[in-house]
Amino acid sequence: MFDTVNSSRALMGMSLAFHICFSAIGIGLPLLLFLAEGIALRTGNDVYREMARRWTRVAAVLFAVGAVSGTILSFEFGLLWPTFMDFSGAIIGFPFALEGFAFFTEAIFLGIYMYGWDRLSRVAHWLCTVPLVLSSSLSALFVISANSWMNEPAGFVLRDGKAVNVDPIAAMFNRATPYEVVHGSIAAYVATGFAVAGIYAVAMLRGRRSEYNRRALMLALAVAAVFTPLQFVSGDLGARFLAHHQPEKFAAMEGQFQTEKGAPLRIGGFPDTAAKETRYAIEIPKLLSFMGYEDFNAEVRGLNDFPQNAIPDTRLVHYPFQIMVASGFAMLVVALAAFAVAWWRRRFDPGRLLLIGIACMAPLGFVAIEAGWFVTEFGRQPWIIYGLMRTDEAATPREGIWAVFLVFFLVYVALAAGLALLLLREGRRSRAQGNGLREVPRVA
Amino acid sequence: MSLDVLAAAVVLVGLIAYAMFGGADFGGGVWIALAAGPRARQQREAIYRAMGPVWETNHVWLILIVVTLFTAFPSAFADLFTALFVPLVIALVGIVFRGAAFAFRHYGQLVATRLPATGAVFSVASILTPLTMGMALGAVAGGHISIDGGAVTSGLYEPWLHPFAIVCGLIAIAICGFLTACYMTTRSVGALQEDFRNRGRAASLALGALTTLALPLAWWDASAFSDRLLRPMPLAVMSLAVVMGVCSLAVLWRRVYVIVPPVAAATVALVIAAWGAVQYPYLILPDVKIADAAAGHETLLAFIIALPIGSVSLVPSLALLYLTFSEKTGGGAEADVVGDH
Repeated sequence: MFDTVNSSRALMGMSLAFHICFSAIGIGLPLLLFLAEGIALRTGNDVYREMARRWTRVAAVLFAVGAVSGTILSFEFGLLWPTFMDFSGAIIGFPFALEGFAFFTEAIFLGIYMYGWDRLSRVAHWLCTVPLVLSSSLSALFVISANSWMNEPAGFVLRDGKAVNVDPIAAMFNRATPYEVVHGSIAAYVATGFAVAGIYAVAMLRGRRSEYNRRALMLALAVAAVFTPLQFVSGDLGARFLAHHQPEKFAAMEGQFQTEKGAPLRIGGFPDTAAKETRYAIEIPKLLSFMGYEDFNAEVRGLNDFPQNAIPDTRLVHYPFQIMVASGFAMLVVALAAFAVAWWRRRFDPGRLLLIGIACMAPLGFVAIEAGWFVTEFGRQPWIIYGLMRTDEAATPREGIWAVFLVFFLVYVALAAGLALLLLREGRRSRAQGNGLREVPRVA
Repeated sequence: MSLDVLAAAVVLVGLIAYAMFGGADFGGGVWIALAAGPRARQQREAIYRAMGPVWETNHVWLILIVVTLFTAFPSAFADLFTALFVPLVIALVGIVFRGAAFAFRHYGQLVATRLPATGAVFSVASILTPLTMGMALGAVAGGHISIDGGAVTSGLYEPWLHPFAIVCGLIAIAICGFLTACYMTTRSVGALQEDFRNRGRAASLALGALTTLALPLAWWDASAFSDRLLRPMPLAVMSLAVVMGVCSLAVLWRRVYVIVPPVAAATVALVIAAWGAVQYPYLILPDVKIADAAAGHETLLAFIIALPIGSVSLVPSLALLYLTFSEKTGGGAEADVVGDH
């Protein structure tokens, strides 16, 4: 249980689970800042400028935690997976090097943006959000492309266990990259949008129906609502890609044990890995075959027909997959309801029910991100590089990793506790300020 | 120059930049811990204020070093992180707490919440990180990491718990404190400026003493290093470093503040370059040469081509950042209350 491989996996998993939230916010918030300050410039409505100012304050601390938690990961590559890095550093190091430049750009303009409110002209200040939006989404491309490569290794020739004829560009743009990058990036915008919207929905539910809260809710929700339907398109394309290129992950996601023609789509259910069947699922006939292969009678290869030492544990893949999809549907319903209300009333002034819905969505984007990431990672097991290197071959020879796990567990607890204290205080303070801000004069 | 040597030069330049910029932020923690006298509070606030907009950017140099290592020298990266497991974990914890403590403290001021001990955590982490990183570098230079047939054979502790490596750790702290004090002389006026001048003089003497101590120590404890010392290139760079160090002391003494930061930065750059000159052509003394650890030609080429392209946007952005935030702090200035009314 506490051997080096499991401890390393637990530590890496904990570190990524922590960091992934902050990287999503780091991608989503710049877009919200860009929009808010842009609208303020265009309409002269200072409510939006105030919005961007307050978000900046929170962004500063969240981005800092994102930067340090990302550093943990870059070190853990070497500390925990030296064999993996020895093999793949030359292949996937390139996008990480590019990510270094993107990170530089992000940090530089974030510094200018955060500390430049009173030093730059309004237009110049707003323009700082452009490199923020671009560099954060490029970072997503570079980092996720490395994960895609682990699923779909490309850009090298294997000779005597060594990678030769390396083509870093081909590795970066492997076949999985477009699917993973688009899905991961959209997820960041959806999660951030709903999280921010949810916070203002709670405020409005508590009776603070200020113009500021209404407009902040509207802006964040608009971002989430635009990206949510797109996420379903990208998810559908991704599933089809997996059906063809990583069929054991596809089968594990669906709890598909038997090879079957006209396989049903399973909603829920409990995969029993001993009896090799998935029980109590709601089955929609033939839909899985269609989703994977665009043919209702196509054959879906079940887990039983793969080498049994090279398949993932379907329980670790199926449940997170269900959670991700369910969260996605919940967000889709709320997003469509918001669109409908806005269209129907020609003005966005959500009622109580919709506000409750939006408030409930606040954490769901992040739940979906974590669950989706579980699906990719557990679904790739036992491989660290699909079909090439097993996870247990990649770990460090060092022992006692469980102690390092313990250290970092405490580090994350400290970070989370400090952050929670500060953000709760921010909420209380905004509430106090919000009363004085209810009637911000419109300039234009 | 071949591609692998060029990539190794990028690592060295990254280290120098990280020391010159990031080092000054760690030095901030050192002087916040050692703030004393009637203006202790102003010293602390001036340092926090100077660091605010730039520390995250300065931190990225470290990422660049790590990324360059695993892209261009993947096997050496694997060896280094295996051999230096313990000091790197400590440095990492320090980096995390340093950054988080700074951000939490700053944000706490904005929302009027003081989290307990952020200042103390910030200072301890700021000292621990350069200490352990310096020890790790000392272990690399001292020749105490043994690698046999691609596997690290040295233990968890012995490569870096050597007198030579420990002095390297202390040198790293001295470098950080020296840079911060020197930079702050142009970021402050009046009595506060005098405070930083005094600290700069003390730190430059400490740095000189420690580097002088390191040389005889190397003969006794790190022969891999000392054996390579008496060659033209290392001697030349080292002499330049000594001259520049004396210059920095002189300009501090004569209060020629405009050139204090560049001279101090050049001193540190030359000290680290001297270390690089001693190591060359080895990446990890005494077992791993640059050429042996390098990735294939295609990877190095892609990496080297990407550098100038990335730098086209990086260099002007960096200049913009540092020029936007280079004002002076007077006697009683409060911390920058940013994004607030």
